Amino acid sequence: MSNARALSFRTVRLDLLRQAQNADGGWGYKAGGQSWLEPTCLAMLALTGSEAAPALEKGWKLLRAWQLPGGGYRPAAMVAEPSWATSLCVTLQCVHKVLDSGFDKGVAWLLGSRGIEGSPLERMLHLVGRMVVEYDPNLKGWPWTPESTSWVEPTAHALVALKKVRQQRPELAGISERIEEGERMLADRRCRDGGWNYGNRRVLRTDLPSYPETTALALLGLQGATVLPLDRSLTTASRQWQHTVSRMGRAWLAIAMRPHGRTLELPDLAPPADLCVVALEALAMAEGDKRWLEIG
Amino acid sequence: MAGDRLKVTRRALAPLGAALALPSCQEPPKPKAVAGPPGNSAVFIAKAANYRVELASKIDEGLSACGLDVRGKNVLLKPNLVEYSIDTEINTHVAVIAAALEVFRKRGAASVRIGEGPGHRRDTVELVELTGYRSLLTGFDDLFVDLNRDDVDMVRNFANRPEFFFPKTVLGADLIVSVAKMKTHHWAGATLSMKNLFGLVPSAIYGWPKNTLHRIGVENAILALNRKFRNTFAIVDGIVGMEGNGPIQGTPKAAGVLVMGRDVVAVDATCSRIMGLEPARMKYLAGAADLGHIAAARIEQRGERVQAVATRFNVIPEHKELLRGTEELG
Repeated sequence: MSNARALSFRTVRLDLLRQAQNADGGWGYKAGGQSWLEPTCLAMLALTGSEAAPALEKGWKLLRAWQLPGGGYRPAAMVAEPSWATSLCVTLQCVHKVLDSGFDKGVAWLLGSRGIEGSPLERMLHLVGRMVVEYDPNLKGWPWTPESTSWVEPTAHALVALKKVRQQRPELAGISERIEEGERMLADRRCRDGGWNYGNRRVLRTDLPSYPETTALALLGLQGATVLPLDRSLTTASRQWQHTVSRMGRAWLAIAMRPHGRTLELPDLAPPADLCVVALEALAMAEGDKRWLEIG
Repeated sequence: MAGDRLKVTRRALAPLGAALALPSCQEPPKPKAVAGPPGNSAVFIAKAANYRVELASKIDEGLSACGLDVRGKNVLLKPNLVEYSIDTEINTHVAVIAAALEVFRKRGAASVRIGEGPGHRRDTVELVELTGYRSLLTGFDDLFVDLNRDDVDMVRNFANRPEFFFPKTVLGADLIVSVAKMKTHHWAGATLSMKNLFGLVPSAIYGWPKNTLHRIGVENAILALNRKFRNTFAIVDGIVGMEGNGPIQGTPKAAGVLVMGRDVVAVDATCSRIMGLEPARMKYLAGAADLGHIAAARIEQRGERVQAVATRFNVIPEHKELLRGTEELG
């Protein structure tokens, strides 16, 4: 893609995001849909550094209103349970240096959120090699919802957020330990093929396949990690890039490979209806603001 | 080698399941001493050798045999879309959905939409492209709703939770047609029309492997969903199903049937018998007596007889207890 095309590619997406913002300040998964936390945060990240101050201000107003007393954020206006996408809010706050009391509460919630695996029975079965789902139950990442087990995607998002936080608050108690445990959890769950499945690597004696979006997110979360060499995972990600038809997967791969020194160019297609993918494709372009990726 | 490993039964692993949030997490309710719905339930079985045969007439015949009137109703077709693999048969075949779409429209439904909230993969668009839905169903983008990311509304008191959220498309449907795939399932034993309702739950709130449902317990969640949504009709695609380590990593198994009915319990019980599984040993069916009939004597078989289409599906060792003796088939 030429520089002019690349600029146009990104501009079209940012314009689309500006136009698709809801009256409440958020974004839906599709234009005109209810506002959700995930597309709102991704759209705000994509619009960062562009001429979008009014849109961002409306977005911040919504996010402040969606923070729950415990520090986590609602996934949508009417849902009063904290969402995994609190990680994206914290990342966004770091990028914009919005380090207020709401930020501190969000970080505290994130540090306190963890998977529920690790019961004595699980640990015993793990010790004797009798787990039906083969993973180390001593390693806790982050769950999608409170009171459930850890999964790759929310763990990767939490690692990105906490690594950003650590740049701002290196002295914060417990933060390095949580980051290290999250990295070890991702390392433990890496599939035999070098990539990542959404959850585990092996269930009922069968290896699970890896996927582009989960591999990309794990690579993003593992920036700067020394817990395992990533060469094989990067090779797997490159192979996935060649074969996937998923625009979401490609966008995440392009984003995630950049900090690892590899540039992938998205195909020059019209923007999709999915506003998360619109935002991700804008974020994947070299021209965009990359502060959120600077965590290694 | 599985044979020389410590014997760990699924029942023994139930407490572990609660922690893993993967296998069945809680013991399902004991079979209730209830008579179930009054009268018998009609279940229609049609033979279909492959997906190239004319399927619309078979579905039309099934709707007539089961006395379903769809005139003026807003219908939601709920296929089973999970993953795509070129090596196996995971999803409801697009030809079955195309035929159902044609029949429900022809029969005077006010509207017919297709909705699914896949359990694992984030990119539903990729899934509908790989499975041929997007290219083979005319006007697909206007027909389809990603239930994982649809607008939601709250309902009260679902599965012992004071508040729960479902997609507006689901809550607004007059009739939900569970167009399921006939598959074995490594946690539930089999996934048929009742388990297929997991896809009604929005992952944008409850997580992409539908974590909350696994915490409620697979069997309990199946029952709760089917108690909540009674306005259902079942069509099970068993033309080519899946055996072994289903619902994703099993192997294709041709049973050559479509199974239909208004009583989803009776449909799943009939599918189980076709697959060579004992329905009463399936925990979710054993707990579903208030919803429908599993006893063969209470099911009026229309179309083909079970014996004529019975096709034994292999199961993983953990589910050997579900297999029926050959003398019990039918």
